[in-house]
Amino acid sequence: MLSLAGPGIWAAGFTLVYALHGTGCARGWPEAAAMGPVTLHAAALWAGWLVTLATGALLLRLLPAVGAGAGLRRDLPRAGAWIGLGATLFTLLPVAVASSC
Amino acid sequence: MTDSTAPDPADTRAAAQDTALAIAANPPRRALGLHRELTKVWANDRGWWGQVTAVNHTTLGLRFMGTALVFFLIGGVLSMLIRAQLATHDGAFLDTELYNQIFTMHGSIMMFLFAIPMLEGLAIYLLPKLLGTRDMAFPRLTALGYWCYLFGGLIMLTALLFGVAPRDGWFMYTPLSSAAHSPGINADVWLLGVTFVEISALAAATEITVTILRQRAPGMKLTEMPLFAWYILGTSVMMLVGFPPLILASVLLEVERAFDWPFFDVARGGDPLLWQHLFWLFGHPEVYIIFLPAAGVLSTLIPVLCRTQILGYGAIVASILALVFLSFGLWVHHMFTVGIPHMALAFFSAASLAVAVPTVVQVFAWIGTMWQGRPELKLPMYYILGFFLTFVMGGLTGVMLAVVPFNWQAHDTAFVTAHLHYVLIGGFVFPMLAAAAWWMPQITGRERVRGLGEAAFWVILIGFHGTFFIMHLTGLLGMPRRIDVYTENPEWVWLNLTSSIFGFVMTIGFGLFVLDMALQAFLGQRVRRDPWRAPTLDWAMPLPAPAYTFASIPAPRHLGLDARAALLPLARGEGLLPGAPRGRREFLVTSLAGARPDHVAILPGNTALPLALSATIGGFVLLMLAGLYPLTLLPLLGVAVLVWVWGRGMVRPVADAPIAVAPGWDLPEQGLRRRTLGWSGSVCLLVANGTLFASLVFGVGFLAVVAPGWPGPEAQAGRAALPGVLLAALMPALGALAVRRAEAAQRQGRDGWRATRLATGLGVLVNALALGALAWLAAGHMDDPTGHARDALRGVLAGYVALHVVIAAGLAGFALDQFRRGEITPRHAGVLPTWRLWQDYAAVTAPIAAVLAAGMGMGG
Repeated sequence: MLSLAGPGIWAAGFTLVYALHGTGCARGWPEAAAMGPVTLHAAALWAGWLVTLATGALLLRLLPAVGAGAGLRRDLPRAGAWIGLGATLFTLLPVAVASSC
Repeated sequence: MTDSTAPDPADTRAAAQDTALAIAANPPRRALGLHRELTKVWANDRGWWGQVTAVNHTTLGLRFMGTALVFFLIGGVLSMLIRAQLATHDGAFLDTELYNQIFTMHGSIMMFLFAIPMLEGLAIYLLPKLLGTRDMAFPRLTALGYWCYLFGGLIMLTALLFGVAPRDGWFMYTPLSSAAHSPGINADVWLLGVTFVEISALAAATEITVTILRQRAPGMKLTEMPLFAWYILGTSVMMLVGFPPLILASVLLEVERAFDWPFFDVARGGDPLLWQHLFWLFGHPEVYIIFLPAAGVLSTLIPVLCRTQILGYGAIVASILALVFLSFGLWVHHMFTVGIPHMALAFFSAASLAVAVPTVVQVFAWIGTMWQGRPELKLPMYYILGFFLTFVMGGLTGVMLAVVPFNWQAHDTAFVTAHLHYVLIGGFVFPMLAAAAWWMPQITGRERVRGLGEAAFWVILIGFHGTFFIMHLTGLLGMPRRIDVYTENPEWVWLNLTSSIFGFVMTIGFGLFVLDMALQAFLGQRVRRDPWRAPTLDWAMPLPAPAYTFASIPAPRHLGLDARAALLPLARGEGLLPGAPRGRREFLVTSLAGARPDHVAILPGNTALPLALSATIGGFVLLMLAGLYPLTLLPLLGVAVLVWVWGRGMVRPVADAPIAVAPGWDLPEQGLRRRTLGWSGSVCLLVANGTLFASLVFGVGFLAVVAPGWPGPEAQAGRAALPGVLLAALMPALGALAVRRAEAAQRQGRDGWRATRLATGLGVLVNALALGALAWLAAGHMDDPTGHARDALRGVLAGYVALHVVIAAGLAGFALDQFRRGEITPRHAGVLPTWRLWQDYAAVTAPIAAVLAAGMGMGG
């Protein structure tokens, strides 16, 4: 089950950020100021992305390190965690570079 | 950093699970005697009736694959009609109406009646043999799945013969498929027929998941099982999660067409894009559902054909894990041109690019395996090389289409048609042809006739690329897909004519392939055992495979051997649970990760119940198609009765004596375990069910946020409905308390007997109360569901809760019946654990549904 944790965190984060994006576009969040020049929409999306990244990184920190001969039982959860973290970083990167709506 | 001196708890747990199983051999017996004893118990009934009552995985797996092959040939004939029409620019071969039906049926048949049933059939046929068990976890479910598949497919084919087949494309976009634009039953045939067939997909996914996780031979750890099983496990989990969105979409569209509930009608708060989201939430993972089993075949065949071991077992398992998840984050790339904001486009474009990584890891692992081994150019290897050439090209055009600007240019052109055929034929059909060449000796017990297979390969390969490579160019020149004439564009003629000619070449190739298989089956010489010198258990048995697969279940010492070395000891009964001394169909259930023997499961024998149940469901489908909606209550009642009879068939007489499966290993029967295979199957079904509910929640959120015309007209029902909503939302939670009380009292034995019965009776009562509350709401305290999508969604949410309290009440009633019969004792929990699962699910979803229904009224 631990092997599913990393990709699961990505799936939850991806869903969260996509939902925040759709809701924000529909509710006019890009026009709502949150902190100075940062709009409510950008703040929500960045928060969603960073929280997902932080959760993925925390999972990686908590999992036992891979050791020589540890076997797939121990390697797979870490591989899953890296898959989740990498996917979060890449697939939600548009939060940082694309116009929102 | 971890402390190097202290043992890591994870390591301790792992070490406990990794402890080698010391299981001594049973004394050898005469192989022929064991064979006769087992065949008497496991064989199908004789004659035609035996075909009706068969539940054996070998019979049904072959039947799935054979039927899928027939549908493939029918789909192929339809594609030839399409190519004949497009060979010239003003083809008069088909009129537009018929052409629309034919291309829709071609896609639908190839997707739903060929590809998925073919992979199901392969998995059903192969998994028990590969994992070292005797059958799938739920043989009657296998049979039910087959009959549902056959009847659903026949309904669709019959519609084609009568000229009322679906005609809106295999993805049935609304509003084209809505009642206003697609009158008649054509679209209903698709919605009901495909949903009927999908019962078989969910049935297969459930039993495949349970079989892989709980029936592996003792000592076959999850992390060491054959890669094919990993691929199929990934596939089955994807099917459990991927199919429910399509089932939900089909139900919503059928309800809209039949009863005018406006889920997709913009004028009344619906949105056609909801269909596209739900369809592609299924549709894109579907590509990987088809690809993963094919990749499993490649990972099985390549190392043996190269006389080496697979390179990067762990990396491949991690890639499967990545594909299973990432493939659910790509669906919007099918909708890049519908007007989605830039950032959302970028999310899905990035995910579409990212998914190429785990795919490439596998391709490199296969190439590396070939590099380190000594490849032998036997017939399956031809198709493997054909796969590499074709699938890599299809993958590259997939990366092109993942890039938004290019996608906008190529959208809805023949380029997309070419890409999807490269992926599906390259990624599925070529590996399946390799699989056929590989396992035909096992299925038939005969060798193939040399020469014809190689000729078929070259004709198929040349025909395929001649057809579809050209089609990329046709698409780049701007030819839209699905048009029947192109009189204004003479520049497309030579390309289309070339594609058509090569299309017929490819068909000849497939004809040669079928002829080759027929010659092998009828004229081939007897094959020697394990002809490929494979290391997997599927070859450690006589050929063709007997109905019981293994005379004794493989022990850990048999797993590291070549199939030939394991064959004789297993046939002589030196493994576990030899023969069938009790005259029952028995096999071992093992623990999830370490595959330690846990208990002995007893399977039901041959029965016509699956046929009766699927025929009753078929009656429901036909009555829906005929528009006789009130009469559909009759088959629904029939389904309830048959499901009860089905459940009774799972009950075994109470038995406390353990069964000796090997010297020093006595195991209990399934009745003494709370977590039986049936319980695991329920967990799988609830995963699928939860995905359907999540899709419904997504639908509510999507329409409420995105669709125009929300929150809709002022609700009439208002606060008067509150008592009914509260009762329906909270009663299932009381049921959850009741089932816990019943379980606690059951464990106390005779002292708690009265309390157990009372708690179970309370369970029936509170679910009945919830159902009564929903009936009260439906009888006049809800707004007209045809008025606005909001009210239609409330109706669906109420129906969903109603279905689950009916199931929970039924399980509680079943438990009461088991008390009456003395089948629940302090050591035998009977149906209580399964009731608890479904009751808890109802207790969680009912309040969520109530909050959603109430929340949709905000501001209305």
